[in-house]
Amino acid sequence: MTTIKRPAFRSIFLLLIFAGLFLTACGSRVASSNWPGLSTDGENLYLANGFTVTAYDAATQEVQWTFPGPNDEVNRQVQFYSAPSVQDGRVIFGDYGAPGGMLNPKVTVTVYALENTSPEAAIDWTASEVATDKIVAPPLQVGDVVYVGTADNKMFALNAATGAPVWPQPFETGHSIWGQAAYRDGILYVTSLDRSLHALDAETGVEKWHTQFEGAIASQPVLDEDLVYVAEFGNQVHGVDVTSGNIVWSAPAENWVWGAPAYADGVVYYADIDGNVFAVNAQTGASLWQSTTPGAVQTNPLVVDGVVYIASEGESSNEDVTAGALTAFDAATGEQLWRQITPAPLFTAPVAVQDSVVVAMNSESVILSAYDMQSGAPLWNIAPASQEE
Amino acid sequence: MFDTFIVNPMINALLVLYDLLFNNYLLAIAVFTILIRAITLPLNLRQQRSMQRTQEMQPQIQAIQKKYKDNPQRLQEEFQKIGYNPMESLTGCLPLLIQMPILFGLYRAIIVTLGSTPQAMFELTQRTYSFINLTPLLPINNFFLWLNLGQPDPYYVLPVLVFGTMYLQQKLLTPQTPPSKDGKEDPTQAMSKSMQTTMPLMFGFFSLSFPSGLSIYFVLSNLIGIAQGYYMRRVTAKEKEEAAAQKKGRKGKQEIVLDEPAASSADVAVAQASDAEITAVSSNPPAPSSTKQKSKRKRRSKKN
Repeated sequence: MTTIKRPAFRSIFLLLIFAGLFLTACGSRVASSNWPGLSTDGENLYLANGFTVTAYDAATQEVQWTFPGPNDEVNRQVQFYSAPSVQDGRVIFGDYGAPGGMLNPKVTVTVYALENTSPEAAIDWTASEVATDKIVAPPLQVGDVVYVGTADNKMFALNAATGAPVWPQPFETGHSIWGQAAYRDGILYVTSLDRSLHALDAETGVEKWHTQFEGAIASQPVLDEDLVYVAEFGNQVHGVDVTSGNIVWSAPAENWVWGAPAYADGVVYYADIDGNVFAVNAQTGASLWQSTTPGAVQTNPLVVDGVVYIASEGESSNEDVTAGALTAFDAATGEQLWRQITPAPLFTAPVAVQDSVVVAMNSESVILSAYDMQSGAPLWNIAPASQEE
Repeated sequence: MFDTFIVNPMINALLVLYDLLFNNYLLAIAVFTILIRAITLPLNLRQQRSMQRTQEMQPQIQAIQKKYKDNPQRLQEEFQKIGYNPMESLTGCLPLLIQMPILFGLYRAIIVTLGSTPQAMFELTQRTYSFINLTPLLPINNFFLWLNLGQPDPYYVLPVLVFGTMYLQQKLLTPQTPPSKDGKEDPTQAMSKSMQTTMPLMFGFFSLSFPSGLSIYFVLSNLIGIAQGYYMRRVTAKEKEEAAAQKKGRKGKQEIVLDEPAASSADVAVAQASDAEITAVSSNPPAPSSTKQKSKRKRRSKKN
């Protein structure tokens, strides 16, 4: 046995410090890492993924702008995952919170409004005093008001031009808001993880009614003429009367329904995390057809011109290879029209732009892929920024 | 492997406790902490006793170090003879080191269980064992007083508590060592002392970044450690008293046993002389006598 020397103590001490630093590095103050948020205004694609929000020209795939730009005074540790809201030349989105500094545990969450201009999207306004936890839900712009739901259980209304609060105080739910709100005729419909659908007076934020369900609700409500459709973790989708909040019908699934249902031509489409896809009558909830897609479905179905597009987790042959799937079904019959396997699982709702279906994914080689709506043929891919440089 | 054997069991244990404890996540963390401490208790107790033993051997250790400081091999041999292992001095850090994978795992388990992002919540569904029904459990109630259990405490209360409780625990668990005769401190003891302050400071600092749920685990764990350390000190003190009493008793018996077989004439003369001494002690100063009688007199005068 050799004598214990001082350097051994130092090594152990340094090991403990390293371990502590590693533990801290393992998790920052805000829970990072989520799936990308994707939206479109028909011309551009807007992708919130990690430390940037980027606008791409859908026709040429060229970058229109990236936020934060080199001149933007924004905390570079901030991350973005909620799909940007685009209306009237203004892009609005929220972040996951910025750490306060080495000795400051406070997290600052900000809502940004940008002018949708190229090559640099100038900051129109920011609002940093409205939330203490991340903004997961995409904001909803209605006229000159933007409604933003937060993970600290609040829904608030801001003036879309200035960022000033519109309501006297935010509306508070029982848990986080992850789904975008829906609006019609002066009523704002808000879903929350507190298992409720809330109907608010859009001008004042005062609740008119709420309906409780069995499971949490992670997606937005979808409006029809007289019903609002809600998907929940209680393995069901419901049609709820927009005036009274009474549940008119409930349709089953085989597991959690994570993504929002889609409505088109009197039919409601939805999928569960077991990969089952359903179509039901929008007025009665009666089943029309059922099909399957590989892997879990977190996303909202996309329905365009009689075709239902489902983005799913996909299935992998082994743990080292992960893949996603984009499947097209005939909306009337549920017959599979085509399927494309993607380089990574798909957890972001697809969008339709210029005769193509675009999906976002977290992959080393691809972040956006486009496929022809009719044939499913791959059209283009966009690589992550580091690869493109 | 780490996820399968550490993180996932923790996640499911937290969910089961959450379900059993009225959907109270704080209670679930508290009970979970108690369980973890119970599992690591044998190690903690062994480490404490080892440190105690080391402390008792300090005079011998220091003497050996002084004598053989230039002869490492002989130094180790002498250490082995008295049953001392220098590495044991660092066992104050051992529970922390052992708890590192627990801390890493618990951090991840709290983040995933609280499901503060959609991805985290989806990850939770992949890690939950089949017998747990997540639908009525999710989302986890993540607020307690001013705290969001998935976010750091914005008011510094928990970091201060983490520092304070950890410091107290370290203080109680590390035995006090007497200063050496030459005034120099043993390097291992110096390191232990330094870590008593450094480690709590470090964890207090890191708590600024940890989710509140994890900081609460630290505080509760430290409080249990403090109670344990206090209890151990009392037990050890009692054991010492009993050992000292026994030792005294044995010494007394040994002296009596030595007196009994004195049947020789010399011994009889000594005994008679001592009797005479006893009768004369009140009026005259004691006459010089044998060593044994001298020591007896010394003891008597001490008592008086």
